[in-house]
Amino acid sequence: MIELEGVEKVYKRGSEDVHALRGIDLSLSRNEFVSIIGPSGSGKTTLLQILGCLDTPTSGSVRFDGQEIDRKKESELVAIRRKKIGFIFQQFYLMPGLSVFDNVALPLLFSKSAVHRDHILSLIDTVGLSSRVSHTPGQLSGGEMQRVAIARALVNNPEIILADEPTGNLDSDNSARITELLKSLHDKGITVVMVTHNNDLAAKADRIIVLRDGRITAEQVAAESTCEQQNIKNSEDLIMASS
Amino acid sequence: MAFLKLALKNIRRHRTRSLLALFGIATSVAVLFSILSFNKGFEKGLSRELERTGIHFMVVPSGCPHEVASLVLHGSLIPKFLDLSVMDKIIAMDGIEFASPILVAQLPNAQKGRMDLVYGIEMARVRQLKPHWHINGLVPKDDHDVLLGSEIAGHMGLKPGDALPYPNVNMEFRVAGILEKTGSQDDAFIYMPVKTAQLLFKKPAGATAIGVKIKNPAALTAITDSLSEKVPGIQIVTMNQVMNSISTLAASAKVLSLSIAIIAIIVSAVGVMNAMLMAVFERTQEIGMMRAVGASGFDIFRIVLNEGMLLTVSGGVAGILVSVAGNDMIELFARKVMPYVPGDNMVRFDPGIAAASLVFVLLVGMLSGLYPAWKASRINPMEAIKG
Repeated sequence: MIELEGVEKVYKRGSEDVHALRGIDLSLSRNEFVSIIGPSGSGKTTLLQILGCLDTPTSGSVRFDGQEIDRKKESELVAIRRKKIGFIFQQFYLMPGLSVFDNVALPLLFSKSAVHRDHILSLIDTVGLSSRVSHTPGQLSGGEMQRVAIARALVNNPEIILADEPTGNLDSDNSARITELLKSLHDKGITVVMVTHNNDLAAKADRIIVLRDGRITAEQVAAESTCEQQNIKNSEDLIMASS
Repeated sequence: MAFLKLALKNIRRHRTRSLLALFGIATSVAVLFSILSFNKGFEKGLSRELERTGIHFMVVPSGCPHEVASLVLHGSLIPKFLDLSVMDKIIAMDGIEFASPILVAQLPNAQKGRMDLVYGIEMARVRQLKPHWHINGLVPKDDHDVLLGSEIAGHMGLKPGDALPYPNVNMEFRVAGILEKTGSQDDAFIYMPVKTAQLLFKKPAGATAIGVKIKNPAALTAITDSLSEKVPGIQIVTMNQVMNSISTLAASAKVLSLSIAIIAIIVSAVGVMNAMLMAVFERTQEIGMMRAVGASGFDIFRIVLNEGMLLTVSGGVAGILVSVAGNDMIELFARKVMPYVPGDNMVRFDPGIAAASLVFVLLVGMLSGLYPAWKASRINPMEAIKG
């Protein structure tokens, strides 16, 4: 679905060059549930931005459904984001003045799609907020806001959900609930890529990618035994990632 | 949900800031709308009053044309007098329908301790010279009958039939009739037969001006040219010249006041721009989120531009409503400070001016929103997921 080859990303910070990603090779298949972990500054968010067509690499190639996107114009990237990608952020970023319904429907405004009330209500029901349709974000708890954000990410029927620290601002109960929601989306056939510091949450994924200093330093698939997952947890990379 | 609704929600999130920006726009648009309405009303009123004078030109002693213009319309005082022999020469000319002398002067009122304004006029021609007057009572027929303007009648507490004594000049008049309120300086005069006024002011052959009506308006230029040649020391002022003279004065005031209103609008537009820039900077992450969920740079541009236009147009509508509500106060103020203001209600709601003001303020809104909208559209979507 998404293939990255030799992806490098260099930012300018004053006169200094910051190498956020250094030669990333990564392939994401359909209906995968992937966690990206790593310490702060390891390049997780930059990688997520490139996967989400929010940024293009300094060098290397990115293919989304076989299309080279690293040299595409911004308008073409916008079109891909509208049709194929749903974003979930740590800070939720709901529009304060809008109801739950309108927040969920917001991406439809930009994709110029018709708002089908039943579709929106079913998404709100999926995230368990049927009784909060008319509430505004100020009337919701953190967990509820994140569930609204998940419903919003799903409104354009995306192929992939990119979640940046989706439980970073939540307590353990709400974190578990959000994790279950992401798993259920994955079970419905949606690819989920999640950046997290939470090793327990990361362990729910099919595949764990460990980043450090802009490089993938370890990768583990859940199909391998629980024992092997334990090995990952014990590895030096994972210890560094969670530090 | 539409872009406009989203823009409206954003405006309502910062109520105080939005209200302040809206107040600035509303105030400046109210000033602009009032000036334009007043000006249009002034021009219409002036034109209407000139039509009502019932004469084609005035003959006055040589002097200031503005004084003459004021005299023609409302009988201001001019310290010069025409000799009535001039009138004989006018009447002797071909094409003259009538010529009527006017004598305007001040009469000391010892009882009240003030100067009353007296307007001597040929009462037989009052209906021709002042066709718009409505008189309660009668047009004076006797030499000692007078007509009172509504304002002076009110001050003196007089009604038709009452006596109006002036012991200091050994005269007593009888109030034959009282003018209905005209809203102009006509309300402040005591109108008496011109012959009585001439005797009273010891100008038995004097007139402040002579109003002339000609038989054929097309011959106006020929008649006035001929009259100027035959009678030295006079000035002939046609109604068009009066109109131009007053309009020139009014236009100077209009340019000044419009400049002030436009500067006020520019200042408030900068206020709107500032409020919107602040809102854009505060919403950087939110805008980044919208970009991430599919908004193009142009979508963001539209949302922010809509906010600016909504603010300014709402301010514009509020300003126009305030201006309409305050019409009477504006008119009262203008009548107090301006040397000449036409009678009747001048400041009225004009849909054309309202529409033009709204279009103008919409353009101002667009201009003030352009920069914030452009800044917002340039926000990097990655700002959102930096957290």
